[in-house]
Amino acid sequence: MGFSLTSTQVIFFIASVIVAGTVSGVFIAVTYDVTSSFSDRGERVQDQLDIEFKIINDPDSIPSSGRNYLFYLKNIGGVAIPTTNATFTVFVDGELIIVANYSFVDTSIQTEEVTTLNIDTDDISSGDHTLRIVGPQAIDDEFTFTI
Amino acid sequence: MGFSLIAASAIIGVAVLISLEIIVGTTVPTITDIHDSYDDMRVRAVEQLQTDVTITSSVWNNPNTILSVDNTGSTTINTSKCSILLNGVIQTFTSTVSYFHPEETAQFSFPTHANPGDIIKIITPNGIEDYYEA
Repeated sequence: MGFSLTSTQVIFFIASVIVAGTVSGVFIAVTYDVTSSFSDRGERVQDQLDIEFKIINDPDSIPSSGRNYLFYLKNIGGVAIPTTNATFTVFVDGELIIVANYSFVDTSIQTEEVTTLNIDTDDISSGDHTLRIVGPQAIDDEFTFTI
Repeated sequence: MGFSLIAASAIIGVAVLISLEIIVGTTVPTITDIHDSYDDMRVRAVEQLQTDVTITSSVWNNPNTILSVDNTGSTTINTSKCSILLNGVIQTFTSTVSYFHPEETAQFSFPTHANPGDIIKIITPNGIEDYYEA
């Protein structure tokens, strides 16, 4: 009877340790996941605050070279911006320009520097247009011009 | 039973402490970084409001066009980070000064002839612009 009582207590003890350990493990894992997501979200917010760019063309005189119109993008934010077709999306009059029809001269722009965006002349007819460039973290700039 | 309860409480207590350490160790640096970025953005916005330039003249002095620009704002401007467009085309230029203080005039030279009626545009490093008809 005495042995049974001790066994029962040992079983209760082991069971309580296993349950507490499991609950603790799950709690720590969930806390870690939530804080990691918070940290990732924080980095994205930081990028949104740091990234800023501006189209600096003269709206009445858009230069061209070969089969491209040239648009100048100035980095007026606080960090370098990667300028690739993957990080930027281009719209003319609300129409998405396909990736093959635009390109950047540089792969990134340092702060206060300028890069050139080439857009195929077939995508822009004569007349008034609105160019919208959407960069990393959906930071964008809009520019109305005349060809 | 009492000892089991104490052991389980101890394990959960340690887990809570570890979780708190994870939360504080991740949250505080994230909030600090966001605060720094927000502060930088505020400084940039204030500088944009305080920056202003005015092109006062453009003269062809063979082989360069000399552009005179007044700093009419209250910030110092790094001239090498300015951009100049002539009829929409970006120009390579030199300047008489590296840094352009408030109430000072800087001269920018670029090797393209600005004809009467041509439009010149200057853009400061933080995107403030001024136009001038040659």
